[in-house]
Amino acid sequence: MAKEMIMTKVEDNSTSTKVKRGVLGVIINFALWFFSLTCIFPLIWMLYSSLKEKRVFNADIVGLPKEPTLANYTKILSNKDYRLMESVANSARTTILSVILIVLIAFIVGYILSRIDFPLNKPLYVMFLMGMLIPIHSLMVPIYIIFSKLNLSNHWYTLLMPYVSFALPMSIFLVEGFVKGIPIELEEAAAIDGSTFSKTLFGIILPVCKPILVTVAIINVFSCWNEFSFALILIKERALYTVPLGLRQFTGQFTSDYPKIMAAMLMTMAPIVIFYFAFSKQIIKGMVAGAVKG
Amino acid sequence: MLKSIRPKGWVVVAYLAVPVALYVFTVFAPLMAALFYSFFEWKGGPVKTFSGFANYAQLFSDEVFWSSFWHNIFLVVVCIIGQIGLAFIVVLLINSKVTKLQGIHRTFGFFPSTISAVCIGFIWQMIYDSKRGLLNWFLEAIGRPDKQKVWLNEPTLVMLLVSIPLIWQFIGYYMVILLSAVSSISTEVLESAEIDGATGIQRARYIVLPLIKNTLLVCITLCVAGNMKAFDNIYVMTSGGPGYSSMVMAMYGYKVSFEQSNLGYGSCISVGIFVLALAVIGGSQLLMNYCMTDRYDREEAKRLKQIEKERQRAVKARKAKA
Repeated sequence: MAKEMIMTKVEDNSTSTKVKRGVLGVIINFALWFFSLTCIFPLIWMLYSSLKEKRVFNADIVGLPKEPTLANYTKILSNKDYRLMESVANSARTTILSVILIVLIAFIVGYILSRIDFPLNKPLYVMFLMGMLIPIHSLMVPIYIIFSKLNLSNHWYTLLMPYVSFALPMSIFLVEGFVKGIPIELEEAAAIDGSTFSKTLFGIILPVCKPILVTVAIINVFSCWNEFSFALILIKERALYTVPLGLRQFTGQFTSDYPKIMAAMLMTMAPIVIFYFAFSKQIIKGMVAGAVKG
Repeated sequence: MLKSIRPKGWVVVAYLAVPVALYVFTVFAPLMAALFYSFFEWKGGPVKTFSGFANYAQLFSDEVFWSSFWHNIFLVVVCIIGQIGLAFIVVLLINSKVTKLQGIHRTFGFFPSTISAVCIGFIWQMIYDSKRGLLNWFLEAIGRPDKQKVWLNEPTLVMLLVSIPLIWQFIGYYMVILLSAVSSISTEVLESAEIDGATGIQRARYIVLPLIKNTLLVCITLCVAGNMKAFDNIYVMTSGGPGYSSMVMAMYGYKVSFEQSNLGYGSCISVGIFVLALAVIGGSQLLMNYCMTDRYDREEAKRLKQIEKERQRAVKARKAKA
């Protein structure tokens, strides 16, 4: 009898904990979905709202469009004054060139600083590392002054210089740390086989460093595509506007036409959003590696 | 290292010359330039007059500059609590056994930190908008239209309102960093704690938190550095207004230099930003080191120092004897 009672008690206990677990699970999952949806909601809201007309949107800002129309998109694309696609092309060119340069330079400098012993090695390393500490917004005004004095503003290559330079410290640091982990026998074997320094560098070390170079590239694709403040001060010519600059015109002129702004934003965000959702796993991994090591 | 791998000197120079020149030209030359021009009265035209420390004197008594500095500090504090605190909670939730579809939460949560601050600013401007904003729509939907406001025109609220998008944007960023740290904690530790009867909150406080301390420090450093340079969001959402009530340092430097074209004073503000941001980042590092060691550690370190001192004294004395 007593034994039975204990048994039932234990069973009771386990069902109640099971219920508790179940309730807890529902709450936790619910909270997480709430969090995730708030992160993604603006994107969804913009997606369907951009299919509404201004009049419809103003009457009901959250409802789904009853008669979806692509009018906003065609209006933006057909109007030559917006030059939105031009700014997308500018951003793409700046981003691609910057990232190629960053990866290439970070690889070469990171490798040399990590492996080759020469008198200026330490000072150069410290100099590049110091760049990570410098608050870049304190450079805005003086960079503007220098660039406009030397007539370097308003060219297709203008933005490459700050973008590459500001990305170098962290990128070099990442490459340098990675190269340290490569066994030196690799280069020794290559040297014995008669490979020159440059041949070894690009033919043997470069493929080995691929993972870290991909990380460097990923981090900088986002920062270059999204960069705003230096583009703002260095680029005054409409034909050279990058995406963040091009978007600015939509707030001033059409503050009331939200669906149109949304359509413009979605079109300019599209490349980066597609890139993100296609490779989100690698991107997140790369960003974490960059943040934690840098 | 074999001698034969060593490249010739000119090869190294050839590889390094361009990167180093570029880097010095865009990072160190401007710093020097800012320092140089900060001693001049210069409105951007051909006339430049040397004015000694006049700009610095103005900077020290410039209430707008100091209030924008405090706004930066406000952002730092709010974002450390909001971003890292909330991210930590989300990480604990994601890491619990009952959670399903962790990958989706991670992908969605990280999404906002990949889009540009300009877009984020626009989106939140639409949310705060007085006539067609989501916030006022929501207030009306729950039957509190009396609480509706022209949100970004409220001087007392505006700093809080501009910090919410910042927090929202970067929760996911800190979430994935913390998540990678938490998932490297061995499950055995957590399981044995569970067997010993530790509740979820106790496990979070006494096991997870100490084990991810270093990652947490990285996050806080990133957060401090990130918010000392807040600019894009604020430029888009308020431009520092209404009045100066949401002004931050970078925004003020921009306004003075490019809207009032006062480049001399703007350079001086740049130097100010440089010094203050470095001081805050350095100060926060010291503070964190202090907070993260407890009294026992500190006394231990003191004792070790004392012993080392005595040892050196003894060594010196012995040398003197010899």
